[in-house]
Amino acid sequence: MTEYNKLFSNSARESLWKRYIKDIPDDGYFLTLSCILGALYPGSECMVPKVYELFGLNWGTNPKPESGWTCCSGIAYHGDIMPIEGTLLTVARLWSLTQEMGFDAITMSCVTSFGIHCECKDLYEQEPGLKEKIDRLLKQSCGREFEIPKHILHISDVYYRYRNQLRDNFMKYQLIEKKTGRPLNVVDHVGCHYSKLFPEEHSLGGSEYCEVLSGMGAAWGGKEIDYPERRHCCGMGFRQCMISPNRGATMASVHKKMKSMDSFQPDLIITNCPGCQVFLDKEQWAIYEITGEKYFIPVVTYQELAGLLLGWDPYRTVGIQFHAVPVEPLLDKIGIPYDDSESWLGVADRQIY
Amino acid sequence: MKNFDLKNQAFPGQNETAVNYSSKFRNNNKDTKNRPPWFQRDFNLSKRDGEKIREHLDNLTNDEIMGLYYEMREVKEKWDKGYYYPNIQILFGTPFEREKDRREQQIWSEKYGQENEIVEWYKEAKERSCVWWLENHIIARHALSASGCMSCGACTALCPAAEFFDYNPRIIMETVQEKNEDEIIQLLKLDTIWYCFQCGSCKPKCPRGNNPFGMISSLRQLSQIKGYHVYSVRGRQQYAARHLWGGNLWNRAFTLYFRDIAVETHRDFGPRHEISFNHKEEYFRRVGASPDMDGSLSSRKVHPKTLYEVRRLWEAGGALYLWKLIEDAAKKQADELDITIDEYHDKVKTEG
Repeated sequence: MTEYNKLFSNSARESLWKRYIKDIPDDGYFLTLSCILGALYPGSECMVPKVYELFGLNWGTNPKPESGWTCCSGIAYHGDIMPIEGTLLTVARLWSLTQEMGFDAITMSCVTSFGIHCECKDLYEQEPGLKEKIDRLLKQSCGREFEIPKHILHISDVYYRYRNQLRDNFMKYQLIEKKTGRPLNVVDHVGCHYSKLFPEEHSLGGSEYCEVLSGMGAAWGGKEIDYPERRHCCGMGFRQCMISPNRGATMASVHKKMKSMDSFQPDLIITNCPGCQVFLDKEQWAIYEITGEKYFIPVVTYQELAGLLLGWDPYRTVGIQFHAVPVEPLLDKIGIPYDDSESWLGVADRQIY
Repeated sequence: MKNFDLKNQAFPGQNETAVNYSSKFRNNNKDTKNRPPWFQRDFNLSKRDGEKIREHLDNLTNDEIMGLYYEMREVKEKWDKGYYYPNIQILFGTPFEREKDRREQQIWSEKYGQENEIVEWYKEAKERSCVWWLENHIIARHALSASGCMSCGACTALCPAAEFFDYNPRIIMETVQEKNEDEIIQLLKLDTIWYCFQCGSCKPKCPRGNNPFGMISSLRQLSQIKGYHVYSVRGRQQYAARHLWGGNLWNRAFTLYFRDIAVETHRDFGPRHEISFNHKEEYFRRVGASPDMDGSLSSRKVHPKTLYEVRRLWEAGGALYLWKLIEDAAKKQADELDITIDEYHDKVKTEG
């Protein structure tokens, strides 16, 4: 076979994959958080600074006590109550705060936020004069100036960057069944707005072979599961999940994914998108009530998984009590100790339930 | 009307009534049944108390309603090495907060909205044709490439919404491309444009580099600018969205507030959600969050100066103008149906 007729050219393949490799700086992260994750799984977000501090990283979230990060307005934009100019300005303010702190990387725990930041960057690059217009409006409205940051990173990018160091230096457990030594079957569910909007520029591995979560799962001892509906949306859909009568579409999407992955016997699902985390977890209960099908596969964020493998307290630090599907069976498999009588304690371990 | 100190959200010369009003609730947060109807979030509430709510709120002056609101909101008490704001949970998502937002946003638009170039553009768009919008709106222009849509259907084949709804992004892209004004108007009045999940699965698959979900987003904006959204059940839900996400942004600087996922409206979340929700602030605090507290992570009470900055940006970015259009269209339809605006809110939030 001549070089011309080969199905794949190695050099071409290498150059193709280079398009999907992302530059992740080691340090200097401006941290913005998520409306959804903070409202439902607060432990996930509270653990991010703890992980950064394991490595002694330079990070920040508020340049001044009275002037801090806010929502990026992404849900409002995709929920169609915010014009794009309002979102461009909100994001420009966050970029301004990043520069005020002296950082050139903005990180966010929300995947829609990540998509919105990338969308804004793309619009500035494609639309002549837009940057000048938003510059002017930002200055007039709150006296700020901004530049497009060098790096737009999802916090899962940062965890991916440090996945091996976390395992080698800090983790007490691996994704291995304690009794048998079997690697646990890990399903990854990457948020659509991480991998599908700008797959070449901003997603580790692109949209088809996104590596950000499966890379963490593999590094921490698990076995990657590929299943037919792996890249299917969770159905969160903004207005679909948040306006109650529309939520059937969300349930149906989760049901489709569950049916598709079930025969591969997953031990856990990892997510990096707050919306996906909520509905893959919570709707398993609704599916059980409606159809009688008991999937009950634990769904954890990458922050929670890291926290559990680091040996942090499952209830006091990680917050597994916030899950609809109990995470305790996963802890049993790995051999992580826990005392379930502590699950519903309040502040200062006060018994409230 | 008195001049509010918008920057610090303080209300000069707060009257005695306001003080008594808020202190009545300070130690009574859990006792929701004894609250007046304008401080309740029960979906059947408006049917029972619609007239009573309107009578009370319509009789409050702007000074009174904003004075009461901020007086209550800024009440704080020491809790677990910090300050906790117990009244935020009383105020959020209530007819009272919605009425305060309507009036306050009107004041903001009058004070800061003069010669706003973004609002002027949207005002012009309202008067122009739909085809003009598609040729000029930044998102619409970037959503359809110069080579156009070849109607291959790749977007529809993998669309998760098309699987469950009467929704076909290929046909929508075709309609847009045809530039037939009447057909576009008809499309904007239908439920179909509101079915999209906005997941973006279509974007990387389009062989022509088009962005169907971006186009849908632009069409939805246009539908609201023109007031066509109220013709469809899914479209008029935007009135509830404007107060859910818009209310959270305007008052708390987040699109989702951690108390929004009430047990009554989220039965599908299962029995563990009920346990967790009923003592949410205790569980949140235990893992290190700042629920309705000063702090730097999620669920914190955002500092008034931060809130002021983002409010200015949303006004400059045209959000207040869009919210006013949604508000006016809802009021008009509520009047036609002979129901109050609070009843209309509950109707659109629960129908479909």
